[in-house]
Amino acid sequence: MQKKTRALSGASQDAYFRRVFKAYPNLSVDERERLVQRLRQEIAQLRLRRSARSEAETPSPEASTVRAPAPPAGARVAAVPAASISANISTPFDPFSPNVIVVVRTAGRDAALAALTAIDCPDNLRLLAREQRLAVAGDPTSATDLRAAIVAAAERRIANRMAAAS
Amino acid sequence: MTQFLAVSNRKGGVGKSTVAVMLAHAAAAWSQRRVLLMDLDTQCNASLMLIGGVGWERACRAGHTIADYFFDRFDKVAEDESAYVANDVGDVAHPRLAGGRLSLLPGSQRLEDIQGELLLKHSKKDLEADAIAVQVRGRMKRLMKHFGHDFDLVILDCPPGLSFAALAALDLAHHVVVPFRPDFVSQFALDRVAMLIERVETAEQLASICLAERRYSCLANCLKGTGHERLLIDQLTLDHPLLNTRLPMLDSIARAFDWDETKQSLEQKYADAVPYLRALHDEVFGVQQLRAISA
Repeated sequence: MQKKTRALSGASQDAYFRRVFKAYPNLSVDERERLVQRLRQEIAQLRLRRSARSEAETPSPEASTVRAPAPPAGARVAAVPAASISANISTPFDPFSPNVIVVVRTAGRDAALAALTAIDCPDNLRLLAREQRLAVAGDPTSATDLRAAIVAAAERRIANRMAAAS
Repeated sequence: MTQFLAVSNRKGGVGKSTVAVMLAHAAAAWSQRRVLLMDLDTQCNASLMLIGGVGWERACRAGHTIADYFFDRFDKVAEDESAYVANDVGDVAHPRLAGGRLSLLPGSQRLEDIQGELLLKHSKKDLEADAIAVQVRGRMKRLMKHFGHDFDLVILDCPPGLSFAALAALDLAHHVVVPFRPDFVSQFALDRVAMLIERVETAEQLASICLAERRYSCLANCLKGTGHERLLIDQLTLDHPLLNTRLPMLDSIARAFDWDETKQSLEQKYADAVPYLRALHDEVFGVQQLRAISA
């Protein structure tokens, strides 16, 4: 006899959350991804009713008829925060902020290090490095070392680009 | 005054022809301009989008393409060039498009060969290679400029790479729209095409030119709304002028370039991409941009 529930974890759990969030057109892809990452940190395993799972896998009519919003002049794809949904979850970590390369270029190395001190958790620093494509040299474990390695990687990226343009 | 607007990027696959055709449709319909799209790309995608495969083949057989125009007229004094132009092109039926407001100088796969032939022909004169190249490029520029008499706006759909025709177009253009996809290599491509447009040789020289005074604007295309794209665009904003309009990855834009013999309205053709098309049109041809072009 088939079980009434099914356990999901890891990639299949992430995929499930993505499917659920797709039904909310106010959420941008970026916000959906941040929510998925946050939930991945909070939830080890998800036990799901089979009926609930099939509902999530079936696109809702609302989701399937989502149209691109009419942008004003100077429209941007950047999304408007969907406060009604994200407010229920404490602010998720955004691995794209601060934009380390931009901070290094506009305010310098020390300012970038200072901006990164707002992030205490080494796992979050590693996530930021990965998402911003900043290759951290060695295997630093402390937050301090990670921050220094991230800024050094940003400097290498900047030098790389300057070299290509010369 | 006729405006020459180039759509260019040395990198391929960034949506140059798509953007060129979108701007041509929008300028003809909404700004009521007499628009000529000059297809300088040997892939001829813009031509196929505007006159279809049969129309393009007919133009090739009649010798009415950009390659034929350059070859036939290279050593001659200016003559009536209208025979090379296909009028009332595109599959958009719009009241304001009546009367041939959107025209096309069709592209040709032979354009690269023709450029080589012209170079060889002029190599017989006692000139250094660089001087010959400058001469060929300059003549192509003047030949393109001839079309200024009959049109309000000439859109130059440039090929990837640096052919003589592409360099001549960049030289002629009052303004250049540079579409790009926000990925790792795009930043290198933008840096390089920017130096070419601004006629400088180093990144330092480029940086010394104020963003507001640059002769080009970059257009982020095919966006999926990811954090990586946001990251890269923020970085590019430090070095290049970016248009506020950003084009998302939309099926309606991709579908809009399937050639269809049935005329349809601009709204039908672009469907949910119309707001983006409108925003792009207003920004590129808006008051601010026009001022920059006229300056």
